[in-house]
Amino acid sequence: MTVRTVLRNEWRLLMADQALRIVLGLFAVLLVYALANGVVWLRFQERTVEAVESGNVERTSALQQELDAIANGGQPSSPFADPRSPLVLGGPGGSHTAVLEPGSLTALAVGQSDLLPYYYDVNIYTNESSFQQNGEVENPLNLMVGRFDLAFVVVYLLPLLVLALSFNVLSEEREQGTLALTLSQPVSARSVVTAKLAFRALLVVGMVLAMSLLGILVTGGLDSPGRVLLWCATVVTYSLFWFALAAWVNTLRRSSAWNATVLVGAWLVLVVVLPAAINIAAGVLHPLPSRIEMITAQRDASNDAVNRRSELLARYLEDHPEMAEGVVADEPGLGALAWAATDAVNRRLEQVTSEHDAQRAHQIILVRRYRFLSPALLAQDVLIDAAGTGDARFVHFQSQVRAFAEEWREFFVPAVLADEQMSASVLPNVPRFRLADERPGEAARRAAVPLTVLGGLVLLVGIGAGVGLRRVRGAG
Amino acid sequence: MQTAESRPGHTPLLEARRLSKDYGDTRALDSLDLTIAPGEVYCLLGPNGAGKTTTINLFLGFVAPSGGQALVSGLDVATHDRETKQRLAYIPEQVMLYRNLSGLENLEYFAALGGKGSLGRERLTEILVEAGLERDAVDRRVSEYSKGMRQKVGIAIAIAKEADALLLDEPTSGLDPKASNEFSALVERLRNRGVAVLMATHDLFRAKDTGTRVGIMRYGRLVTELSTDEIGHADLERIYLQHMHD
Repeated sequence: MTVRTVLRNEWRLLMADQALRIVLGLFAVLLVYALANGVVWLRFQERTVEAVESGNVERTSALQQELDAIANGGQPSSPFADPRSPLVLGGPGGSHTAVLEPGSLTALAVGQSDLLPYYYDVNIYTNESSFQQNGEVENPLNLMVGRFDLAFVVVYLLPLLVLALSFNVLSEEREQGTLALTLSQPVSARSVVTAKLAFRALLVVGMVLAMSLLGILVTGGLDSPGRVLLWCATVVTYSLFWFALAAWVNTLRRSSAWNATVLVGAWLVLVVVLPAAINIAAGVLHPLPSRIEMITAQRDASNDAVNRRSELLARYLEDHPEMAEGVVADEPGLGALAWAATDAVNRRLEQVTSEHDAQRAHQIILVRRYRFLSPALLAQDVLIDAAGTGDARFVHFQSQVRAFAEEWREFFVPAVLADEQMSASVLPNVPRFRLADERPGEAARRAAVPLTVLGGLVLLVGIGAGVGLRRVRGAG
Repeated sequence: MQTAESRPGHTPLLEARRLSKDYGDTRALDSLDLTIAPGEVYCLLGPNGAGKTTTINLFLGFVAPSGGQALVSGLDVATHDRETKQRLAYIPEQVMLYRNLSGLENLEYFAALGGKGSLGRERLTEILVEAGLERDAVDRRVSEYSKGMRQKVGIAIAIAKEADALLLDEPTSGLDPKASNEFSALVERLRNRGVAVLMATHDLFRAKDTGTRVGIMRYGRLVTELSTDEIGHADLERIYLQHMHD
């Protein structure tokens, strides 16, 4: 009865307060804008993926035609791009692009999908530098700030709205004198404040969830109900944290102005300062090697390798007898020598990139360890993971692309070493990339700890608020 | 002197038993014994800090007693918060309502909180009119109300709640004489319905006029108790001043 009564009264108060209506309207506009932004990005990704996949088909078809024509006595279109050469058929001209389909909730959270590549051209020359080219390797702050999407609105702006609606949920009642009249009725301060906050929570969380579900419906994300559920659970838990914090601060019996100052300070520390400090600390403690150094190392390795091709080929065959399979001619062809040089460059690059990868791994470990200091970091982590645009899915994709690149090399390199000529008949056997996406529930498994910690924080602050509210009486 | 306890068949609705309240080292209320029967208007007189508001706050459960008991219909306020508040209505010196809502909406809200959830618009309007509010004012925003009009909404809340006891804390302070008279008349009507009224006031005239008994407090103690039938206005003023100068 109390809850229904308070909810109805709060609705009337909201309808009578123009400023509040404007704030909520503004928030609704931001939600629409954020969703539209996400949908635009998703459509762009979808178009790119479509173009890339049709590119695969077109390349194969063109190669098929050219090889058929050559088999019928024709000439290659260019003596330097003869598709019969395994270095050409398996090289950039015949490459296959491995694609990561957009995450099912990409429209809600762009996440890492604008930072990390979601497709790679895989060919015989694919090496570690291929995985670095499109990555944002020196800007960990981007991991935190991100695009203006729904996840951004939830993590950064939703707390501000929650605080704007709740900073004076109790103090205003005391200041305007309605608290005494309220608490002279057979109701507790706890039930009244809880009902008042429930109204605000229904309003704010309802708006965010409604917009999220709209985005999911429009973009067809309902085929991943687990991710949808995870997204919704995170939005609710994160919102509850801020409501609980506002309730707790209100129980400290200070003025509304004091409450506002403390809560905005908490927002600044938890949402802006701590995440930034953690990211900066990650950059300072584990700096990434310079990309210029990496490129220079690549060039040095390349020059050196070209000068020592014969020596390198001998070493390569020692290391990879399975690739030669005893078919390498006594006088190795140009293709074999070129491949030996390429492999040497790849090895040098592995050393350089492994240093980069190790530093990045250290950064991620540090950020993951200290994200528990900030509910904003926890929420953001789970939200983008739920959306399928988090680090983990990209790492999963990259590892499959690496395996695919290895498979590709194993298909073409023996032919290169044997100086073989290839025909159209090999095309159906050329490896094709098929993504084995994460199993359903993987994101939920990763989210279990951060979401539990976030829930624990809600419980902790909520208990503090509950205890404080028990002490609230009508006087003083 | 006739007290509630001395009247046969009258169970006290409000009762204080050696009720005390300390704020740190300061004793705000010292062993107050008080009984108020249905249909009685008990006026607490005394200077600021005498313990009048503290007494009311103790009956409302707004503060916890340091000693003794505050009872409403025989129920201890400290252990029966909800039950005792169901029987009480409270009108503070300034009835503060939600300024952006109308008198009717405020009444509907507080009456519903008080457990009267489905009175309906017509009945609520009748109650407001009965409390003295003009019919055309019930739908106006409270921000346009005078203090007297807000006090009437406060009375309307008490009527809607059908409270057994009414606690009034300086209810006529700042009201013009006409509004004060109207307020006293409303209290009189509630008294005639058997409502027990405890009113803290500085207004000796109003206390003599409205009250059935008067208690004079000083330094947290009830120093004397009088029946208004037995004294005149001049006597009350003289006795009051005499206790203030002792």
